[in-house]
Amino acid sequence: MTTGIRRHRTFTAFVILAVGCLAVPLVAGAQSTETPRRGGILLAAIGADAPGLDPHQEQTFATLQPVAPLYSTLLQIDPYGYPNVIGDVASEWKISPDGLVYTFKIRPGIRFHDGSPLTSADVRASYDKILFPPEGVRSIRKHHYSAVASVEAPDPSTVLFKLKFPSASLLTNLASPWNVIFPKKYLDKDPNYFKNNVMGSGPFKFKSYTRGSTFEGERNPDYFVKDRPYLNGYKYFISTETSVRAAAVRSGRAYVEFRDLPQAEVDAIKKHLGDKVVVQQTPFVIHFDVAMNNTVKPFTDIRVRKALNLGIDRYTGGRVLYGLTGLRDVGAFTRPNTEWAMAPAELEKYPGFGRDAEKNRAEARRLLAEAGYPNGFKVVLKNRNIKLPYQDWAVYVIQEWRKIGVEAEHRPLETAAWYADGRDQGNFEVMVFPTGHFVDDPDALLAPFITGSSQNWARFSNPGIDDLYARQARTLDPVERRKLVIELQKIVLENAYHIPGLWWSRNVVHWAKMKNWVAPPSHFTNQKLQDVWLSED
Amino acid sequence: MRTYIAKRLLLIVPTLLGAAALVFVIMRVIPGDVALLIFGGDAGGHIDPKQLAAMRERLGLDQPLIVQFGTWLWGVLRFDFGTSLWTGRPVIEELLVRLPLSLELALAATMVSVIIAIPFGMLAAIRQDTWIDYAVRVISIGGLAIPSFWVGILCILLLVIFFGWGPPLEFTPPWVDPWANFQMMIWPIVTVGYRYAAVTTRMTRSTLLEVLREDYIRTAWAKGLQERAVVIRHALKNSMLPVITLVGTEFAFLIGGLVVTETVFTLNGVGRFVVDAVAHRDYPVVQALIFLTAFSFVIVNLLVDLTYAWFDPRIRYR
Repeated sequence: MTTGIRRHRTFTAFVILAVGCLAVPLVAGAQSTETPRRGGILLAAIGADAPGLDPHQEQTFATLQPVAPLYSTLLQIDPYGYPNVIGDVASEWKISPDGLVYTFKIRPGIRFHDGSPLTSADVRASYDKILFPPEGVRSIRKHHYSAVASVEAPDPSTVLFKLKFPSASLLTNLASPWNVIFPKKYLDKDPNYFKNNVMGSGPFKFKSYTRGSTFEGERNPDYFVKDRPYLNGYKYFISTETSVRAAAVRSGRAYVEFRDLPQAEVDAIKKHLGDKVVVQQTPFVIHFDVAMNNTVKPFTDIRVRKALNLGIDRYTGGRVLYGLTGLRDVGAFTRPNTEWAMAPAELEKYPGFGRDAEKNRAEARRLLAEAGYPNGFKVVLKNRNIKLPYQDWAVYVIQEWRKIGVEAEHRPLETAAWYADGRDQGNFEVMVFPTGHFVDDPDALLAPFITGSSQNWARFSNPGIDDLYARQARTLDPVERRKLVIELQKIVLENAYHIPGLWWSRNVVHWAKMKNWVAPPSHFTNQKLQDVWLSED
Repeated sequence: MRTYIAKRLLLIVPTLLGAAALVFVIMRVIPGDVALLIFGGDAGGHIDPKQLAAMRERLGLDQPLIVQFGTWLWGVLRFDFGTSLWTGRPVIEELLVRLPLSLELALAATMVSVIIAIPFGMLAAIRQDTWIDYAVRVISIGGLAIPSFWVGILCILLLVIFFGWGPPLEFTPPWVDPWANFQMMIWPIVTVGYRYAAVTTRMTRSTLLEVLREDYIRTAWAKGLQERAVVIRHALKNSMLPVITLVGTEFAFLIGGLVVTETVFTLNGVGRFVVDAVAHRDYPVVQALIFLTAFSFVIVNLLVDLTYAWFDPRIRYR
């Protein structure tokens, strides 16, 4: 599978691009030569319960996977052609020659599940909430849209995005599966309404949600894409136990676990069920790291931060953890082997990336002694209570740190508490922290390092990084942009603000009777299920 | 006896009132502003003071403490525990979704435990130091030593590997579909019942051994009574008091304390609800669940006390 992003560089040529009629049925039709069967309920296992239901305010698969089928987005990543961008509620769009105005046409006849029409006003209200959130409303990804000056709705079928500067990533970021379209009338009453409620225009309607147990959707007969969806509904079963989810797939109680299962479980399922199941393996736009709280001692000291980075042997980790967890590739903050990645030889110059683990540890011990911790220190490593790969990664880190005298106490937390302590309150010393996105886009992947970002759990601030981030976001020349992206990563690594870990790989095992679904390198995209069908119940 | 029952029933009122006051006070003396915790520093720590004030008003935290307690108590009397901050639904509705599952599991596991533990505990005691005793002791020590969640996972894996079958992932109440309910609940019942039976078996064995060494038992043997009469009529009933206490407290504990087993078997019970409510800072739910647990213990203790009299006629209640 292609791992890079196919860029939309139309603005560099200063031509108007009209991408009309990228109709979803054409895409679906290209996928399967079999005649789709209607009916059936897709049963899926999921590894966590949603901390909240508003995708604008959340950043976990536990929210997005269950609610994605209920909503539409302006654009979307092609379910069968990652990372191409196609329309969802937008039927066509054009970009002005100066790259500063994006004009989208909204498909006619789209209705929310309460029967009200979806218009440009709803798109504008949803994007206003993301880009310019009112006080008391969290917006996780507003930094990805720093180029946007305003969103306008001159008529019910037209939406304009006016930019402060041309942006290389905007079109891709407008295809974000997180940016679901909410009805304006609900947002006007309470912008936090969708934290606990659902009202979308997607292929499925909300049916029921029992916290901690199940989430169900049923077919939307008025969906704007003709003859979709094929399924009568879908149902997620929530279990934080990896072995329970694997057993559920193996026994047929669930047909799929969309996120990932360890290689050993996948092999066992495949051996047991043979051709009854299909395994899709892809890279993953997620890396598992450790965030250090840069505002608390001893992590205010760069020597301590460097020591903790030096204390982890990532190369051995990749070999040891791959079979257990899928964590494998050593890299910085952009995915290895992509156009934005640092070359391995360059990476090896930074703390913790040198090939000689013993030499790294000796240097770590020296730095700790210099910082006043000759015998190391004790620290609490907070984590999410999900085994794969959060806890496996933490166990590896803890035993590595022990070799340099740092004793970490592992403290797993429930998803909501983990977000509250890490993202919202900074109530931690060190914390397992994954960074993932729906595509390999620098605007998104580097947002955790800019001042004030709600993704900056480490809570550091470096004006140089902020400046580089802003510059790369507005640089249209890919070669120049790459230089800035690499330079930014070097500053983070030099200052050891953060502890990069390993990049993940994805194993999706599903029953062969589940048709027309392709695993992209992100568990956030292709979750609408509108083209999925079951060949038997 | 009637007077005693009436007295005990009346005594429940101040006990529950004390428990309610304790729960209420604990929730207010824990460090941190609950309203602030609920917002959790959203939007990078910029919290709208108006929203904060509105949340305090919604929770009733702007009222004097005694008014807050009175309001809450009045709600409790009407089974109105407020609205869950996490789900937005009334707490009682959330509880009613989960309580049947937890009650069924607790009741069935208790039954399994008693059915296994009493006969095997007796057998081990009357056949002390024989292979039967050793076998019972080994199996019961296994029940104590092996964590329930591990037995649960093993159960599921063996079923899947050898029979290609796994328990359902969603709870169906027995009155809706008894067979689906049985398919799901039998495994956690066996898992929890095994650990529970292990504790009770050991207690039955040791208390029965103690009673069997009493003088009046020796006299019964000397009179030439049959073993069955000696053990069941004279020894068993007198050895049951500690066992009843144990069964009672374990039962009350099971209603709210089965977090790990519920997680393994994807059971949406009260145990997981407690943990989730704490994690989500769902203050009305936490308050209600602690009170519910206290209520369960008070009721179970009452039943245990009343059962004492039936088992041991020497106990005279005044």
